[in-house]
Amino acid sequence: MSDATIGKEDYMHSQFKYWKPYVSPFDPCKPILVKSYSTPPHLYMNFQPIGLAQFQSPIQALKHGTLWPQLYSPYPDPHKGVKPK
Amino acid sequence: MPPEYYQCLEELQAIDFVLVELNLYLNTHPTDLEAIKQFNETAQKSMQLKHNFEQQFGPLMHFGRSYSSYPWDWDDTPWPWQV
Repeated sequence: MSDATIGKEDYMHSQFKYWKPYVSPFDPCKPILVKSYSTPPHLYMNFQPIGLAQFQSPIQALKHGTLWPQLYSPYPDPHKGVKPK
Repeated sequence: MPPEYYQCLEELQAIDFVLVELNLYLNTHPTDLEAIKQFNETAQKSMQLKHNFEQQFGPLMHFGRSYSSYPWDWDDTPWPWQV
């Protein structure tokens, strides 16, 4: 009855991780078949390297909440609850 | 307020955000010369923007950190929560 994780190759390149929870036959609500959570991009960067590319304008940086596009996270998941692929 | 008021404020907000980011970055990368140069240039830009803004729309800070024109204009509207 272990929760199935969706195939590695499907999610390795995404900041969002998905898994399929067990669905009880007695679930009173419509079950959520695929659940997801978000991971921050700096998890995959170790120590921030020097000289990362920056957003073109300060306004753009402000709207994204970071100065570096590589550290931008489109939280929350735009495909929340939707099965990837 | 005229649309330039909001344009200037947004520009200032964006520049100050870049300063926050660079400040935090430099805390952990104290020897990144390029970033320090960018920080100093951005700080200067921010001061210019603040100066221009205050010339047009009155003081941004009080207790002697900004000048006032006559009559005393610290208490002029819009107040921060009205912007």
